[in-house]
Amino acid sequence: MSISLRIGLLLASLMVFILIIVTVIKKRLNIKYSIVWLLWALLALFMAIYPTSFYFLASVLGIELPVNAVFLVMIGLLYALTFYVYCMISKHNEEIISLTYEISALKKELEDLKKKHNEK
Amino acid sequence: MKTLVIIPCYNESENIEALIGNLSKYGYDYLIINDCSKDNTKEILRKNDFSHLDLPINLGLAGVTRVGIKYAADHDYDCVMCIDGDGQHPPKYISTLIDAIEEGNDYVVGSRFVDEKKPWSMRMLGSRLLCLCIKLKTGKTISDPTSGMRALGKKVIQDFADSMNFYAEPDALCYLLHKGYQVKEVQVEMKEREAGESYFANPFKSIYFMMATLLSIIFIR
Repeated sequence: MSISLRIGLLLASLMVFILIIVTVIKKRLNIKYSIVWLLWALLALFMAIYPTSFYFLASVLGIELPVNAVFLVMIGLLYALTFYVYCMISKHNEEIISLTYEISALKKELEDLKKKHNEK
Repeated sequence: MKTLVIIPCYNESENIEALIGNLSKYGYDYLIINDCSKDNTKEILRKNDFSHLDLPINLGLAGVTRVGIKYAADHDYDCVMCIDGDGQHPPKYISTLIDAIEEGNDYVVGSRFVDEKKPWSMRMLGSRLLCLCIKLKTGKTISDPTSGMRALGKKVIQDFADSMNFYAEPDALCYLLHKGYQVKEVQVEMKEREAGESYFANPFKSIYFMMATLLSIIFIR
């Protein structure tokens, strides 16, 4: 792995760290979800500092250029993250239906009560 | 038997008054669910004092039906009858479906093709494909899998109220057959919609619907 790629990874991970922390402080990201991104940045840092571990991974998988092992791991992680996001969307979808139902049912009840009240 | 007729309704201001006028002759409890219509459906529902739910956001047909079923589950109804808000399901057939529920069926579908022959149009091609898939998967013959006119018994109401993957009619049919519920089809007539635009006017939506439904039937149910 070239020294410039290592420096690039190092800078990228530092920037991700700063970005995450700033976003959490500005209350635009939940701490619960920031953990995943912090781990992601840690991995980039690890890759920059110990590139030899990727030489090992590349040789085990029969990948000629170690840098391709880096891409492989990154893409794998991105897939995992996206899948997680899709699961969250499905859950939220379900919650939205429940909430919509509750709101509309309450609205109906309120209107029925108003009507009864006006009739009296 | 305590029955609730649920009527999903999206931009149906031209049809809804006639439909309720027709329906109220039969004396069923009904619930119109206004899926955040863009036209003046909401005002019409209020003005006429129809029993309705007014959703704050647009959920789509599957979501709206879920809301109706949740309402029925909460208010302890024994039977839910789904009909469309566009007036294509004549209310006179409702009693036929409810009778079939009373006989002990869990899910009754109003089918256009129990006694009649199915025509060879593009839409019916899709219907045939769905029939074939259901037949292969469950071994049961269903003549009109996309019919939106159906009655649900108590057990099915509970099941659907909590189930996340309540997707579409053919899919629901497959799920119920698989779980061993009693499913029956009865002959009904349907009219063309009286006014307004159908969800399936958009061909891309139809194709997406077919794909999602087929995948769901083949791999998940």
